[in-house]
Amino acid sequence: MSVRTQGGDRRSAAEILSGAKSVATYLLAACVVLGVWWIVAHILYAVRGYSVLPTPAETFRLAITLRGDLAPAFGNSALRFLISIVVAFVLAVPFGLVVGFSRRLHQYVSPLVFLTYPIPPVALLVFLYMAFGTGEAVRVFVVTIALFFQLLVAAMGAARQIPPSFVTSVRSAGATKWGLYKHVVLPATLPSMLTAARVSVGLGITLLYIAETRIGAVGGARSGLGVFIKVHSHAPAEYELSAVVGLALMGLVFYTALELLDRWLCRWRHVGGGGGT
Amino acid sequence: MIEVADLSVAYGTGRRRVLAVDRVSLSVPTGEMGALVGPSGCGKSTILYAVDGLIPPTEGTISVADEPVHGVRRDVALILQDAGLLPWKTVRQNAELALRIQGVGEDVADILNTLGLTGFENSFPAELSEGMKRRVGIARALALHPRVLLMDEPMANLDSLTREHIQKLILDLWKSLRFTALLVTHDIEEAVFLGRHVFVLSRRPARVVEAIANPEAGTAAYRGSDTFVQRVRYLHELLGGVQ
Repeated sequence: MSVRTQGGDRRSAAEILSGAKSVATYLLAACVVLGVWWIVAHILYAVRGYSVLPTPAETFRLAITLRGDLAPAFGNSALRFLISIVVAFVLAVPFGLVVGFSRRLHQYVSPLVFLTYPIPPVALLVFLYMAFGTGEAVRVFVVTIALFFQLLVAAMGAARQIPPSFVTSVRSAGATKWGLYKHVVLPATLPSMLTAARVSVGLGITLLYIAETRIGAVGGARSGLGVFIKVHSHAPAEYELSAVVGLALMGLVFYTALELLDRWLCRWRHVGGGGGT
Repeated sequence: MIEVADLSVAYGTGRRRVLAVDRVSLSVPTGEMGALVGPSGCGKSTILYAVDGLIPPTEGTISVADEPVHGVRRDVALILQDAGLLPWKTVRQNAELALRIQGVGEDVADILNTLGLTGFENSFPAELSEGMKRRVGIARALALHPRVLLMDEPMANLDSLTREHIQKLILDLWKSLRFTALLVTHDIEEAVFLGRHVFVLSRRPARVVEAIANPEAGTAAYRGSDTFVQRVRYLHELLGGVQ
């Protein structure tokens, strides 16, 4: 029994160390970004003779002053993004896995997917306004559709790359079709799905920004960071930058949440080092 | 008893049809171990999967314990070449996979203990050595107390010491549990050491070139004996001709 206890302690210590390293890396990266920002702001000031890019200190000072406006905008944008990513995940992943896991379905459905996948959802904005107006649903729809295709293509690819030995071992144990999905397809593809979701965070936030600024200018829906930027487009640059920092923070929050989800649900990927015979 | 009669298996249709197994007949009596040996890619595993019910025969019949095989059976277990462990399941979850799929609530603690895996129940396959992974694969196969054990190169890619350890383990289990077994291997010495009935297969499509009775198999003293060396040499010559 001592082996397991030692192994458990070793694993916990390694997890804590890995977590601490991760936090330290993020802090270092934040310092580098802020440092570069500060240097560029000063260089631009020296070259142009007037403030082009506000410094981090100026931006954060204003952000604290405007927190009463920025916080609800952050909340609304984050909620839109959360709804979009959850809906996209729930719709795209099962569909992609079923299509990817079936050779015949993949043969017929994949051309349809690959034909529609490259259409930028932003190009459809005008038609969406006309069809559904400029309310909340359109903003969410634009982001959802972009994330949906990212996740769908990733799910189809991941399902096609499942090693046959996994399928054979579960079929040999007498698994039904549902059993195959439960014991093999879902867990085998989950890491790829979470990676695809993490990669899609950047794209999703870009589209959220576009949808909010475009529709923000047209309709009167609830605020958001994009709307905040649009409304303050003629104000000093610190106003826009404070919302841009908000978008970056939002991306970091979702990326980190997905990373933590991966570490929790796919714990098996983060272990290793067999010994003995 | 495992009874295979005139088994043919073909993949694909029309011009893309590939015959993998051609009218193979073989028989392994109840409680004995048979070994299929042949060149790489000759169709050995296809025969094994057909006996397991995973691949339907194109022609011919297969029966296990006097019952025809029409799909996967609960009393037949398969051990795959790389143990077929699911990396996201722990040792215990892998070992009890077949039990859970079949809806059997039995515990695997005893079988894990027999195979020296106690203390590693909550480890993932990535944390195990190759030899331990193979033992988990054996535990999973034996968890349902099968009457027939099918093994698809269970000792492949192991170092010689671990290979001998696993061979001995399989022999010990076979002697105590007395299941009927069919082993696929490309290792001639392994086939002669373990198989009381050795079936030598041709290149693809697989045909039985010769069935050799090997009644001394399964004892530690047999390895290294004159008879063992002669049979190994004979099989080398036979397979040299086949290749």
